[in-house]
Amino acid sequence: MAFDAERRQELREKFNEFAASRSPQTRAELIEAHLGLAEYLARRFANRGEPLDDLVQVAATGLIKAVDRFEPERGLEFSTYATHTIVGELKRHFRDKGWAVRVPRRMQELHLRLSTLVSTLNQNLGRSPTVAEIATAAGVSEEEVLEALEAGQAYRFTSLDAPVPGEEAGSLVTTLGDDDEQMTDVEHRVALSPLIQKLPPRQQKILHLRFFEGLTQSEIASRLEISQMHVSRLLARSLAVLREAAEED
Amino acid sequence: MPDEVQLVMPADPEFLRLARVTAMGLASRLSFTIDEIDDLRIAIDELVFGLIGTRGRPGRVTMRYALLPEGLEVRGTGSFEDGLPTPGLTELSSLILNAVSDEHELSPDGPSPTFRLLKRRDGA
Repeated sequence: MAFDAERRQELREKFNEFAASRSPQTRAELIEAHLGLAEYLARRFANRGEPLDDLVQVAATGLIKAVDRFEPERGLEFSTYATHTIVGELKRHFRDKGWAVRVPRRMQELHLRLSTLVSTLNQNLGRSPTVAEIATAAGVSEEEVLEALEAGQAYRFTSLDAPVPGEEAGSLVTTLGDDDEQMTDVEHRVALSPLIQKLPPRQQKILHLRFFEGLTQSEIASRLEISQMHVSRLLARSLAVLREAAEED
Repeated sequence: MPDEVQLVMPADPEFLRLARVTAMGLASRLSFTIDEIDDLRIAIDELVFGLIGTRGRPGRVTMRYALLPEGLEVRGTGSFEDGLPTPGLTELSSLILNAVSDEHELSPDGPSPTFRLLKRRDGA
């Protein structure tokens, strides 16, 4: 989609006006004027198993964010800025659907096998094992161990991240208990932020133990009686959720 | 001169995996434990997101990994085309980085924002 010079100038002026007034009507006009761009980009992501209508909706959401965040005084063309935001929104849509990160079955199986092995090595060695030690014990190469470790970080590796039955309910405030009094002001502000409170209690607990109490992942695993690799996955997942939530805040 | 590995990648979170895997491979050569490798991975995520934001931005990030006697040093330099301010570290990111790294800094200002990370081996 392309505008002629006169229309482009008209839209630039509208963006300037919107930057000053934040008028809902101007906002609607700017969104309307660029819907063609959103549709064009949505079509580029078509034929990947998602209905085009849904993709257009996602792209439109990106467009709205772009209109709201665009700062015309920076001199960037809106179409450049919006394209980046809209494509980001579309990619995120596919990622959230779980299709952006495909973990081969072989790697899922190795990941599960390593999970038990790491716990055993932890106990036998009295410390966290190295990659070489895990590889030797598993009879695979160090590269395969690294690949399996990274595979566990796939955000939608849901079968491994499913909640464990009997997980305690409650907010961070209740799980922190006595430690709460020893926290600094910064820790209070961060730990009790609404974002963290949206996480499942166990993930809140793991964040607290790792980042506020300074326990290692292996120590947390031991305390919570789960595997180190499960702690690693839950931490990665919590941080990804917090990052996205902070962005949307 | 320590051994050094460089990686130039688009400033897009989809490529962050490469930055992590490179760090993991090098940390493994230095006999890091998997606890330390996980810390490194978290630290790289936080710092790269501090340069590119969660959605990425037009441009690229150059990663330099130096194998030092005491551990792994990672430097990242952004080169961006959008003229927008670099996100930098949130309070939570800083807290996380304090827990998982030995030294870290992010300079968000200027046309080439940078970060530096040092992760020591246990006992180094």
